[in-house]
Amino acid sequence: MKDAMNAEGPPLESLTRRLAECPPEFLDEPRIGKKGRVSVAAVVGDLLVELGGGPLAPSQADAFEPGEGNKDRNRLRLILIACWMLHDSWFRERRAFAHSALRLLSTGLNESAELTPASKFIADSDRREELARLCLGALGLRPAGESEAQAQDRLATLNTAERQRVIRAAREAEARAQQIREAMARKAAEEAADKWGRE
Amino acid sequence: MTDSDRFPLLTDEGRRLLRRLREHPRAPKYTAQCGNRLTADYLRRVRAFESELRASPRGWPPGALPHWLDDFVEMCFRDVPFYRRYGDRPLQFADLPTTTRADLSREIWSFVPDSQPLDDLIWYATSGATGHPLTILSHPVAGACYTPLLKLALTRHKVELTSGAGQVACILVGWQKRAYTYPSITPQQNDAGHIKLNLHPDDWRRPDDRAPFLDDCNPEIYTGDPIAFAELLQLPLRSRPRALISTAMMLLPELRRRLESHFGCPVVDVYSMNETGPVAVRDPDMETWTLLQPGLFVEILDSDGNPCPIGRRGEVTLTGGFNPFLPLLRYRTNDFAALDYRGDQPVLIGLEGRRPVLFRSADGHAISTLDVTAALKPFALPQFALHQFADGALHLRLRNGAAADDSQLRAALTPLFGVTQTLTIEHVDSFGDKTLNYTTDLSPTTQPPNP
Repeated sequence: MKDAMNAEGPPLESLTRRLAECPPEFLDEPRIGKKGRVSVAAVVGDLLVELGGGPLAPSQADAFEPGEGNKDRNRLRLILIACWMLHDSWFRERRAFAHSALRLLSTGLNESAELTPASKFIADSDRREELARLCLGALGLRPAGESEAQAQDRLATLNTAERQRVIRAAREAEARAQQIREAMARKAAEEAADKWGRE
Repeated sequence: MTDSDRFPLLTDEGRRLLRRLREHPRAPKYTAQCGNRLTADYLRRVRAFESELRASPRGWPPGALPHWLDDFVEMCFRDVPFYRRYGDRPLQFADLPTTTRADLSREIWSFVPDSQPLDDLIWYATSGATGHPLTILSHPVAGACYTPLLKLALTRHKVELTSGAGQVACILVGWQKRAYTYPSITPQQNDAGHIKLNLHPDDWRRPDDRAPFLDDCNPEIYTGDPIAFAELLQLPLRSRPRALISTAMMLLPELRRRLESHFGCPVVDVYSMNETGPVAVRDPDMETWTLLQPGLFVEILDSDGNPCPIGRRGEVTLTGGFNPFLPLLRYRTNDFAALDYRGDQPVLIGLEGRRPVLFRSADGHAISTLDVTAALKPFALPQFALHQFADGALHLRLRNGAAADDSQLRAALTPLFGVTQTLTIEHVDSFGDKTLNYTTDLSPTTQPPNP
């Protein structure tokens, strides 16, 4: 479901510039289990207070403190980048976005994190624009100077292009995996090659 | 496949030797045909690898990373589907996720770099006795690179191979019910012969042919495992190799002593696995293991995946390797050792090829497997397995024919476990291909604390 973008937000350029200047602290490894250095729950908690909310409840913190493994890493990295963007004074001064920001950070970035390495939301101009628009939309905002229709349309275009890129890459990867599996099947009946040792 | 596919560079001398090994009147009943598959280009690559082995400095300073590591990690993130899925490359190497045998077992094809041609891909299945069954994708060049690596291991024991055309350089011996056996020619050792054979009597037309055949081949070295070497001890061989290279299983000191005394040559222990090939060689001081591959980075990780300080035991974790189909990035081997330094060279100490199991004495104290290994030191056991049940009872299995008296074994283990600890000893015909020496039913939570 599309987020309504009823209110006008900050100029898009100020947010994309902010993303491009994301400091290294927000790009450090998120804490997952006993590994990593940045407590994402702490960063999110601090942000929500700055946005006018209360501290993060333990049940709310769960989404930002996964047990172990690598599957949540990209999501947590993207959350940290989004936190940096939402820490912009435009959002903090209004003290009105804590609730919608928590929803965005808890689940609203999952799909993007599954598709795209988090660093691209800093390094790639289209992905910076996409993340800025996605966050604005989740907060019920549209970029300054745009109509809601324009904002929805541009976000969909960016999102579709990225999806198509990901689908193309996935198809290529599957085709290569299939080639290797077929080569393995062909070679199954063949002899191996000599070696002097065994394990 | 024909001989010209198996041996693209076969010379007349090589052909004559191959024929002699195949048609020898006392040869074993070979079960397979297999060649080196080395083209001129592939042989150049093996020789380049050998030159690199001799010329390149190995190792890295304490706390630092090898100079080649950054480019290797970059290649993995760019070119290898499995690692690409990690997403962004972490800024620090120690933040990279680790991989396990289960990852390889599930989707080995995802570890093949996109740029790796699939010509001459070979694959073989490995036993699942020590973990997940595994298919390894490899290349003739990778198989051939075992030769310079094992030769380098031999130089640590002052043995330089000199065999060439018309001679047999190496016989890889096994002792199994069924084995893949064949003769081959080794262009990277001046067209000397290599034979993979099985000492099990069933693999021979006449079991009495074994010693005369081996004597006639007169190999410079034997490679194999302690079970096969224990069998080799029993044969009335007149010939003497210049070294034995033991891989695949733990070699107890007493069996080593007997082998060395019987054959009058060093027994060289090599730490090797299918995923990487030969990793390290045990030094003559018996304490340290010297790393063999300049392109293999060794870390020791604790159970949380964090690097252990120098000198502390943890899981041997490997990055790099020479198999172009299997670039490894922080591969947890399930083998345990500590990393230490001798001069500027990293070495492994206390290497044991298995997850460390803690046993429990009758009065509840933890017993390290290293202590059990030390207690079993006086016995020439080619293969054994000690298991502790949840109630503490011990079960020791030995391969039939082990030169050890049950009462002596009990006397060796009792001081460790206590006189009240139940110990049953069983003699078995076979363990299968590969065995874990130490296992326990004690769960990690009921295991005693680490001593």
